[in-house]
Amino acid sequence: MALWGMVIDLDRCTGCQACVMACKAENNIPAVGMKEAHKERVISWMQVLTETGEDQHGAKMRFIPRPCLQCDDPPCTKVCPVYATYRNPEGIVAQIYARCIGCRFCMAACPYNAKYFNWHTYQKEAPGQNPDVSLREKGVVEKCTFCHHRLQRARERASAEKREFDPAEYVPACAEACPAQAIVFGDLSDPASEVAKLAHSPRAFRLLEELGTKPKVFYLTEGEAGG
Amino acid sequence: MAGWVSPGVEQPIAFPHKTHIALKVPCTGCHQQAEKGSAAGRPPTALCAACHAASDTKDPEIAKLKAYAEKGEEIPWRRVWRLPSHVFFPHRIHVAIAKISCQTCHGPMENLDRPPPRPLKILTMSDCIACHTERKLATDRAAGAKLSKVRAQQLSSDCIVCHR
Repeated sequence: MALWGMVIDLDRCTGCQACVMACKAENNIPAVGMKEAHKERVISWMQVLTETGEDQHGAKMRFIPRPCLQCDDPPCTKVCPVYATYRNPEGIVAQIYARCIGCRFCMAACPYNAKYFNWHTYQKEAPGQNPDVSLREKGVVEKCTFCHHRLQRARERASAEKREFDPAEYVPACAEACPAQAIVFGDLSDPASEVAKLAHSPRAFRLLEELGTKPKVFYLTEGEAGG
Repeated sequence: MAGWVSPGVEQPIAFPHKTHIALKVPCTGCHQQAEKGSAAGRPPTALCAACHAASDTKDPEIAKLKAYAEKGEEIPWRRVWRLPSHVFFPHRIHVAIAKISCQTCHGPMENLDRPPPRPLKILTMSDCIACHTERKLATDRAAGAKLSKVRAQQLSSDCIVCHR
């Protein structure tokens, strides 16, 4: 069984937000409007977190793209009273909108703020939306799914063509869009895959590793280029 | 459940499935998208006309079809089957790959001499799950340990596969 994971090279990330926009287009993520944005209700499954370098007196900005980290031991799934969120056999933390009751316990449990609540019905069906992803209704929590629908599409294509599915065919929208190729995606359980090799590199670290959530999104530290 | 049934749908043409099946036209002969895409769709009028153009029958229903075809219009068929919006069901994988007969979900459409006003069968999630579980067990037994990873995952009952 595959174990999908991601490695983000912070040395390569330029903070261009292409991953953010690609994710929004791919997953029908609504624009919530200015009023809602002022209430901090912006939905963005992929978010580029910024940090100003203190030692350089603000001269240097750090960028950390943050999708759902797809924890291998996710705190959010443990608090869901209705099993609307769970870790699937391939390690993807899923959110079943039809089952979610909107209690937001999972949002409180997530140490990375990677879950978002639909305070209103933000969008209706319209041309240009991705038909492979549902529109979320008012009152449910949504999150990044590593573009799981793309995995299904790739598998479907492979079996229609009567061949084994190749993990290289499955790439989430953010990784595909990154112009700096900072995001590497693949199967962590395959030691020969690039993502597994990078995840074992000495530069690799995970966000809030000490919490024991075992995120499957790894980061590569910035090198010495920035001083 | 309300989303599944649209009561008393009336179609613009009294299409008889029975007559067409008796002429040995397979379901996918007209519903060609069922093998290619997610939605089975309805056949384009040009496809009906391809067979019917040459006939000089006096049947009023066929005359209606010809009128649409001559005007170059699509027949305004009304939808009978509708999946709830939170369910993703690809026809292609079920029809072309898994080779499940259309009747398994749609009921005995081949016996209809007029359009059905409502779906012949009402499906619930337990019907989907029952079929997946049963077929997975059967494939497991048949293939032994050789069941390919892809097949195993396609027959899974993982929620995110249909609710995404």
